[in-house]
Parts: sequence; structure tokens; C-alpha cells
Amino acid sequence: MIKLENISFDHCIKCTVCTIYCPVARATHHFPGPKQSGPDMERLRIKSPGLLDDSLKYCTNCKRCEIACPSNVKIADIIQSSKWRYFKKTFRMRDFFLARTDLMGGVATRASFLVNFFIKLFPVKFFLDRFMKIPSERRFPRYAQGTFRAWYKKHRKEQEEFAEKAVYFHGCYVNYNNHDLGKDVITVLNAMNVGVIVTDEKCCGVPLIANGYIDKARKNALFNIESLAKSATESGARIVSASSSCSFALKHEYPNLLELDNSAIFDGLDYITRFIHERFEKGNVPAMKPVPIRAAYHSPCHLERMGGVMNTIEVLKKIPGLDLTILHSECCGIAGTYGFKKEYYKVAQKVGDELFKRIERAKPEIVITDCETCKWQIEMSTPYRVEHPVTVLARAIDGKKL
Amino acid sequence: MRYDCIIIGGGLSGLTCGIRLAEKGARCAVISTGMSALHFSSGSIDLFGNEGEGKIVFRPFEFLEAFIGSNPLHPYARCGSSRVREALFYFRDQLDLEDIDLYNNDDANHFHVTTLGTLKPTFFSQRSVFNEKIRLAFEKKSKIAALNFEGYRDFYPELAVINLKRNVLFRNIEISSGKILYPDYGDPQRNPFEYRSIDIARIFDTERYLEDLAAQIRTAAGDAAFAAMPAFLGIINFKRHHQLLQQLTGLLIYEIPTLPPSILGMRIDNALKSRFAALGGVYIAGDTVRGGTIAGGRLESVLTENGGSSALYAGSFVLASGSFFSGGLVSDFSRVREPVFGLRVYSHAERSKWHAQEFFPRSGHPFLEFGVETDERFNPLTDDGQRVGNLYCTGALLPHYNPIREGSGGGVAVSTGYRAAELILAGNR
Repeated sequence: MIKLENISFDHCIKCTVCTIYCPVARATHHFPGPKQSGPDMERLRIKSPGLLDDSLKYCTNCKRCEIACPSNVKIADIIQSSKWRYFKKTFRMRDFFLARTDLMGGVATRASFLVNFFIKLFPVKFFLDRFMKIPSERRFPRYAQGTFRAWYKKHRKEQEEFAEKAVYFHGCYVNYNNHDLGKDVITVLNAMNVGVIVTDEKCCGVPLIANGYIDKARKNALFNIESLAKSATESGARIVSASSSCSFALKHEYPNLLELDNSAIFDGLDYITRFIHERFEKGNVPAMKPVPIRAAYHSPCHLERMGGVMNTIEVLKKIPGLDLTILHSECCGIAGTYGFKKEYYKVAQKVGDELFKRIERAKPEIVITDCETCKWQIEMSTPYRVEHPVTVLARAIDGKKL
Repeated sequence: MRYDCIIIGGGLSGLTCGIRLAEKGARCAVISTGMSALHFSSGSIDLFGNEGEGKIVFRPFEFLEAFIGSNPLHPYARCGSSRVREALFYFRDQLDLEDIDLYNNDDANHFHVTTLGTLKPTFFSQRSVFNEKIRLAFEKKSKIAALNFEGYRDFYPELAVINLKRNVLFRNIEISSGKILYPDYGDPQRNPFEYRSIDIARIFDTERYLEDLAAQIRTAAGDAAFAAMPAFLGIINFKRHHQLLQQLTGLLIYEIPTLPPSILGMRIDNALKSRFAALGGVYIAGDTVRGGTIAGGRLESVLTENGGSSALYAGSFVLASGSFFSGGLVSDFSRVREPVFGLRVYSHAERSKWHAQEFFPRSGHPFLEFGVETDERFNPLTDDGQRVGNLYCTGALLPHYNPIREGSGGGVAVSTGYRAAELILAGNR
């Protein structure tokens, strides 16, 4: 039975505009493009799941098709949900591990030195490539020792003393890989007289969705909605996240793809630069020292989809001394766990190729972007260091070297 | 968030308006639901092509002088013909800064050829569609070769040739048709029948295949002076590749816009966005304005789908959300409405009068003349009759003109967009 509310594919007028702007269709002819894999094939799939075409697995869920669509068809959602609705569920060790960022992080942060050391060794890389189908060319993000949450516990008191507070969804990356970014969020918000509250959270679900663990993603989503809503209501605070993809999932993937009611957090939730920019506009701008560095800014796909890019740009423009080039909006190709899979690695790199060339031409000292996986991809594929906008802002505030 | 001006709709009209405002230092944001109708356009800018029932207008500005007097509600009349001219040439200058040459035929209309081989009068065209050399070669009745890529489904040169031969202008001109094979670029996975214009454009956005292509064109074109082909010259390096290919073949390479997506239209879209961004404009893509707060005859703020309850504020707003196709107008069973603010719409009460009996009537379909009723300053009225003084309606959203029958869509979009910008700037002074 076709659910009547689920016929957004029927609004497709077959204009092919989405396929023009699809970075994957541009990179490989193996992917027939969002129109065909999404609304076109959806009709057939509804008739008979036997008509399922494997090629839709090439979709990275970057959402650029949805940005381009003049008819408001949720193209990427249609393709994503087909992945778990129609494909036979088979257990793949690799996908399981890639999807469980929190599980992996929880283990790795106990002995990060060992993990970081071993993962770079040739035999390990060879094993991962050969048996796990994780390409040996792929560089892994380093794990931190201990968790951000453990560090935060020691500083909770001082944060609770602020009159205005924000509930901070730190995400797996800050918790297990990059505590400094979490600390930078605190530095920046504190400088604006906002205390940072960290509450219970689980992985936002982005890697789970990408690897077909929808039930688990839903479970996490329900947990996060409840936990964030409770914490925000108690403290009367807004909710912020400094990961563009986590924010996107919390705000848009939950209702559109996971079909969950997130109205309890939807209006209160901001990607961090929107929260900061709104306060900047009202005159709450902290004192900043110049950050004399030439930077190229790359806008991540999911931030584009949320319409949040302008906030980041406006915030960066406020940093004195920062020589900023805005790169033409292009997908970097990694798409979370997509670029960690051997069968897609080449496509991922080809997707990013245009962006890498543009970065080269901009001749920056650093690249700035909002997304951690974009950071991994750009740091692996170009010679440049990549920093989060909040980190740059934090250095302007504390005057330390970027 | 606050801007000087928020423009709802990122098409030809909205971006022309945004460019003018941003150039004068206004902080502007354009909010667009998806890509604009330029992706479905010919990439030529029409001014006024047909009067009455299919009679061609040759000198549109001369025609407008008289036309405006007898059609006071027409958007051109509301702009005034000198302002229409100012707007169109301003538009051309802006595209020139983005490296697109728009040619006009000394103030007269010229024709561009459609995929079906019909002729459409238009005012500005890109160099690969019209220029002095093309005019000269045509006047000399030079032979034309209509060529297609083998397997490409959006152009049938044989059909185009039959239709062109029916036209009196082509009676004494020899036209042949021929085929070109795609270059072998090492990807056997895909059937050439699946290629759309954008796939071909991407192949030729790299220079690698131009020599091979030139050799094929020379063979297929025989002794013709023109090679007319579906628009394929890419979106980035098209100007250079057009020149190169003309040099390599010694022929005039003529591009025919195919639909959809239109390569020629996308070039304009690209250029306008790039110009707007260069002037500091903010382009918010993939978001939809859901409504706004109107109080005391002024629109204070708007709400968007992605923004949830946090509003966007501006001193002035422009509604350039297009007609039925782009969702600027919506038709229900019994009425036509404007979905964002519920503005007062001009239409017929009786549904059976919305359209003509034939699919392609010479008199045009009445529904194309529906739209948001405005005063001479393009300010609309709310449903309860309240004038909204800081909201300007432009482009295909406007009533009392018929873009298809008149061949006037591009000109109205550009001139009303420009006019709205001027009114906003004058109001701020």
C-alpha cells in the first residue's frame, strides 16, 4: 500500500536539474543521477522491489539534489530510505564498525596511542584494505586519549554559573577525536557570556543512516530528542551543535528521513555559527585580537542544505586580520563513511577533485570548514591544515596561535 | 537576521534586482526554492516578439511606444519604455562583466532556432546563437548543416530541417543533416542514448576532445558554412571552446537550445549568481519562504522552511517567485492564489475560461495573464485590500501580459526586477 503522505516523488516534473548538480553523477557514469535513482525508480520499486537497481548505492546523501530541485522533492531522502527499505539486510563487519562511531570511539580512546600507532602500520592497512575493504590510501582521524565528556565533568561547575546557557551537542568527533574543538566552543560561548551545558547524548545517527542501521538510528534519535529537550527546557537554553552534519541530522533527518517528531527541539536548535551570528548582530561581540592568516572557506553540503553557510561567513568576516577567500560551493566527496569504503573511494576522490583544485588556486595557509569529515578529506587530499570556524574564532578571542 | 532587502525567488528577475541593489551597496539576500526557470529557458532574452495573433514585431522599442499607451496595465507600461531599455542594457552590461556577450541586432529582433526547427524572435542572444557573422552568412544564403550526436534524444535534425524548409526565410537555403559520434572517452558503461545535454556539455568542458570533434564536424558538414548543433559547449569554458572550434573547423558553430536542462540558460544563471555574489549578495538556495508578518501596510519579516520560527527581517522585500511553473502562483480547483502571503490575484472566476481550447492557441492561454495585482509601483494588495508598501512584485508573477503569446517573458523579468531595485533605492534616499 502506498502511503499518501509519501508521494513527494510524484511532484517530480523530470526536469533533470538535480542530476546537473549531483557531484556523484558528475564524477562517475555508474551513478545514473538522483532523478533516476530517486523519483523515477521509486515508482518501480513501489510496484515491485525486484526492480531495485543497485546503482543507487552510489548516492552519498549530500542533499545537493534537494537544494537544486525546483519542485521540493525530497530526492535524497527517497534514495536513502530505499537503501534500507529494499536491500536485503546482510551483516558487513566493516559497515558495522564504521556506523558505530560511539562504540569505536569508546574503545579507542582508552588506548588512543596504540590505536593511532597501529592504524598507520602497513600490515594493518593491508589487512583493512584486503579483508575489510577499507582502502589503504585512506587516512584515519586520530583518536584522543579519554573523552571530552570526562574533561567537561571537571569543568561543569564553572559553566553552570553563567546566567545564560546553551546546551551543547558535542557529537562523537569532539568526544573521541578532537576535545580541543569542544573546548574552543566553550571559550567562544563563555566570551559571549554564555555557559555551556553538556547533557546525555548518543551518536546523532548520520553514520547509522548511511550504513542502513535505521532502527538503531531511530533509537538514538529518540534518545537525543528527549535528552536535549529536557535539558533545554530545564535551563531555558538554546541547543547548539558545532558539527554541521550532526545539526542537520537532529533538525532535518529526524523528521524527514527517520519520520520522528522532533518539534521539541526543532526551533531551539542552532548550528553554532547561527547562534553566534544572531548574538553578534545584537552587539554581543567579544573582544578579538587579529588572526593574520590567509584562509579559504569551504562550505559543507549539509550546512548548504540547512541554509547556514551565510552565518559562518558573517562570523568569520568579523575576525580581524583574517584574509578570507570563499571557495565556490563543491562537495569534498568523503560524505562521512562513504570515502572509507573501497568500492567508492575513487569516486569520492574524483568528486572532491574540483574542490581540491580550487583550494590550490586560492593558495591559502589554512582551510576553514564546519564539518569534521570534510576536514579529514581535505587534509588527506591537499597539503593544508583544516580548522573549524569556531576554532579560528577562539584563537581571536584567547590570542593563542592558530 | 536583518538585511536591507530580501528577494524571494532567484531567477532572472530576482537576480537582476539583487545585482542592481547590491551594486548600490544594499545588503541583499536572495532566497530560492531550487534552481530557477532559467534552466528551462532558451538562454536568449526576449523583449517583445509577437503582436496580435502571431504577427512578428521587428523593432520592439518602436512597437512599445504605441503599445504602452493602449495597454496601461502591462508591466512594460508600468515601467515606461525608456526604463525598459535602460534595464535591458544594464542587464547586458552586467553579463558582459561575467564574460557573456549578449548580441542584439541594432535594436531589432533577430531569430533563434528551436530544436523543432521553428524560429523565435528575440532581442539578446549569446554569441553562439547570434552575431554579425551569423547574420552575414545567413544573408548570403550560405549552406547550413544541422548535426546531432548519435543517440542524443533531445534533438532530431531531420525534423528541424523539415520545419526550417517550410519557413519562407529558409526557402532558398540548402540545409543538410548529419551525425557525429561521441568521442571514445573510455567509459563503456553508459549508453549514449542516456546522455542529456549536461552530459555532453561536461565532455566538452574539457578541451581534450575538441580536435576529434572538429574533424568529425568538418566531415559531417560537407561544404556548409554553418554547423548547427544542440547546445553542447559546456558551461565553464564555452566561450573559448566556441572560438577554438570555429578556428579548427573554419565553420560557424551555431548552438540550438535544447530543453531541459538548457545549457544556454544555465550559463545565464551561472553568470547572474556569480555577479550577485561578487557584489556581496547572499544567495540562500534550497529554502522556501513560508509566509511573513504584515502590519501597518508593511512586510516586517518572513519565515522560511529551514529557519523554523526564527524570522528574517528586511527594510524592503521583492517577490519574484515566478508563475505557476515555479510555484509563485498556485491553482486550486476553483481559484488561483499566491501561496506565500496570500496576495490579491487577478484571474477569471470561471475555471473554464482559464485556458483556450487548443493546446497552442495563437491568442495564448488566459491563465498566463493571471498574476498578483499591483499598483504602478509594483506594490501588491493583501487579500483584505491592504497595500503592502515595502513589498515589490516582479517577473512572471505579474498579470496583464502573456509571455508566450507576446514573446516578452525575459524582458518583463529583467525590466520589472530592475525597476523594483530603482524604486527601493529611491525610497531609501
